[in-house]
Amino acid sequence: MTDIRAAIAGMGLITPLGKGVEQNWHALLKGNTGNGKLTLFDTPEDLSFPVGEVSLPVPPGEFPRTHKLALIAAREAMEYADGPPDAIVMGSTTGGMSLTEILLKENNMDPALFVHHGAGSVAEYVAKELKCTGPLITVSTACSSGAAAIALALALLRTGRYRRILAGGAESLCRLTYFGFHSLQLIDAKGSHPLDRNRKGLTVSEGAGMLLLEGKTGISDTNVIEILGAGLTCDAYHPASPDPEGGGALSAMKYALEDGSIIPTEVDYVNLHGTGTIDNDLAEAKAFNRLFDREKPLVSSVKGAFGHSLSASGAIETVISAKCIETGIAPASVGCVTPDPKLHMNPLRKPVSSTIKTVLSNAFGFGGSNASLAIGRSRNRQAMEFEPPAPLEVSGLACITGAGNTSQTLNLFFKGLPCLGLLSKKKISRSLSPGVTRRLKRLSRMGLSLANGAIEDSKEDHAPDSVFFGTGWGALSETHDFLKALYETNQRFSSPTDFMGSVHNATAGRIAVKLKAKGPNITTTGGDYSFEQALMSAQLLAKHDDKPLLVLSADEFHPVLSGLFDGSVAQADTPADGGGALMVRRASKGAGPQLSPLFYENAHENPGVVSSLVQSLGGAEKINLCFATAFVGLPAASRVMGREQLDSFVQITGFNGPVIDYRRYVGEFASASAVATVLAVALSKTGMIPDALTEKEHVDLKGKGILLLGLGKFVTAVALRRKEALF
Amino acid sequence: MNNLIDELRMKIIDTLKLEEVSPENMGEEDQLVGGELGLDSIDVLELVIMIEKDYAVKIDNKELGARVFANLKALSAYIAEESPKVTS
Repeated sequence: MTDIRAAIAGMGLITPLGKGVEQNWHALLKGNTGNGKLTLFDTPEDLSFPVGEVSLPVPPGEFPRTHKLALIAAREAMEYADGPPDAIVMGSTTGGMSLTEILLKENNMDPALFVHHGAGSVAEYVAKELKCTGPLITVSTACSSGAAAIALALALLRTGRYRRILAGGAESLCRLTYFGFHSLQLIDAKGSHPLDRNRKGLTVSEGAGMLLLEGKTGISDTNVIEILGAGLTCDAYHPASPDPEGGGALSAMKYALEDGSIIPTEVDYVNLHGTGTIDNDLAEAKAFNRLFDREKPLVSSVKGAFGHSLSASGAIETVISAKCIETGIAPASVGCVTPDPKLHMNPLRKPVSSTIKTVLSNAFGFGGSNASLAIGRSRNRQAMEFEPPAPLEVSGLACITGAGNTSQTLNLFFKGLPCLGLLSKKKISRSLSPGVTRRLKRLSRMGLSLANGAIEDSKEDHAPDSVFFGTGWGALSETHDFLKALYETNQRFSSPTDFMGSVHNATAGRIAVKLKAKGPNITTTGGDYSFEQALMSAQLLAKHDDKPLLVLSADEFHPVLSGLFDGSVAQADTPADGGGALMVRRASKGAGPQLSPLFYENAHENPGVVSSLVQSLGGAEKINLCFATAFVGLPAASRVMGREQLDSFVQITGFNGPVIDYRRYVGEFASASAVATVLAVALSKTGMIPDALTEKEHVDLKGKGILLLGLGKFVTAVALRRKEALF
Repeated sequence: MNNLIDELRMKIIDTLKLEEVSPENMGEEDQLVGGELGLDSIDVLELVIMIEKDYAVKIDNKELGARVFANLKALSAYIAEESPKVTS
């Protein structure tokens, strides 16, 4: 157990105010605004609103803008680093959507053009350019993504496994978000002026903010600025509107302070989420006034200057917060002329010089996902002992496949029969009421149904407080339908319901509303490894409080989009989708099956990845001693590569247990590994692998575990074991 | 006017996928939002779009929306008055 600090070792920014941290900082202090005319795409004349556009020519056909923006900020953050980062945690909501939506508009249906569509592909691109072979986690919690990514990076650093983590967020303007926010009537046609009495909404913008965080032990050099603490919560109130009382915002700020051992009177400045929408600013002001009931710190929102760059904003504002501390200047609420008296708040109208040691920075998003970060000068504090992450004990499970629900799937799987296909919407929705389903399309229905199934199976006394959701491609039906309606009406009309349902975390947000789950609500995305990212995130944030967590992953098959985005789906003979859900808790007693995500590396330009895997699992002897069988994920699109990795693994370890190639049974979709994990847990409970699966005779587990391997572009390992202390 | 109200009943059910609701149960003066239909602000925005698309009537601020979406009667009266497509 060690006390690890997350020192900010480098920062990078690109925003409508300029390129580079210094240029941005000076422009902000001058009171500049990046709000201006939209030139990136055409709109109907009467629907032309100001946006925050970055001056960045991107030739068509190259990488999408988000990727470019992310890399520019990442390179600046890494400028003085003496090697690549050990891991990257990226906040991204729309990924390559700016390019995808053009291709779809032009009816250009060549899958090769969509390879950078995924929100997870932003981190992959940055990792490739920076030669990072470690884990990549992409957090997709809408407008809190960038801040939530930094919160996860902090948790990852505290494990002591990684020394240097690059974290932040990136977002480019696209039609989906521009017309989406318009459909919700949340855009201020005159440009946003947050906290002002005449504010009418936000200004959609773009940009990227990246921070290099370095784990340091026991420092107290006050020149160092750290991420001191993080608070992640969920409103569990509504898919697109904040809790009007600001309850989730307040608890996020409180947890961030607690996490950093800070008391409210130590906070010198609060950088608000402050989007400029009526509801956000009112709710956030309530939370602010409740937290700081006596002495008020300096406070402002910088979104009048930067606009709202959605998943990038939380990271951009973390960089700004660090600059406040470094320079002793708190920036103004650009655009706020007369503060709204209803806010009972006195936002800065001009920059103020002051002693600033500690800053709170907020970022909130759709799905009620809140992230608050405490940033400050390094200080002497009581050493905090961060325990290594514990395994997750499984108390309940559920899956959906083409075969049906959990029992129907298990029934076929145990007989060695395929369960792949597409379950009807009616069957998926069986446990959901019509009042709930009327707004839900396929993915959200699957998610809610899986949540119900796992909770019912667990027989836990408490509903889960936190939700960790993985999805390779997100809500494809909503995304498709939104764009289709938009294009069919010459960019005039699109559905607000589809827009709020199109964000990757819409499913997890809806589960939270249903369960009143007000703890962390994290959605991760990264193609075939999205479930593993969700499991890692759950393990990092699982507390000692004995409350169960829900970890699930699902992907829907969409007849138009799935084959364009997912190369494995394109190669499959039979369309398939589904997902798996697990009720887990931080293992303490060691009674039930336990899951430990043990390995996650990028296989790109990483020839030693399999050796590294074997080593991290404790070597050949230990692997053979611990595991009776391996469940192996070989996505069709990277099957050759995956097979080579598997052969190499078998060769190095001499592993001779049965290897179950689970996609043959469950089908090709990004969340197949979540289903496989559910099947493996169910199998481990029976104590044996039936002969139908081994293709020889049945195998008695004899107390040994099951190794779940993800192969291909990334190599992942999750250990499933029945007994304590093998790892 | 009654024809317009009937038409709106069908369109609301269809737009908002209110599969459990039958048109005859939607009273002219029943509260539309926050009432028994279970409609919220996002449903209102869906209806705003439907009304602009089908009747060329814009409802683009909250205050107007609150008045117009009070009930079916208020909605149909506003559309009848504002829409170039409805002759009442």
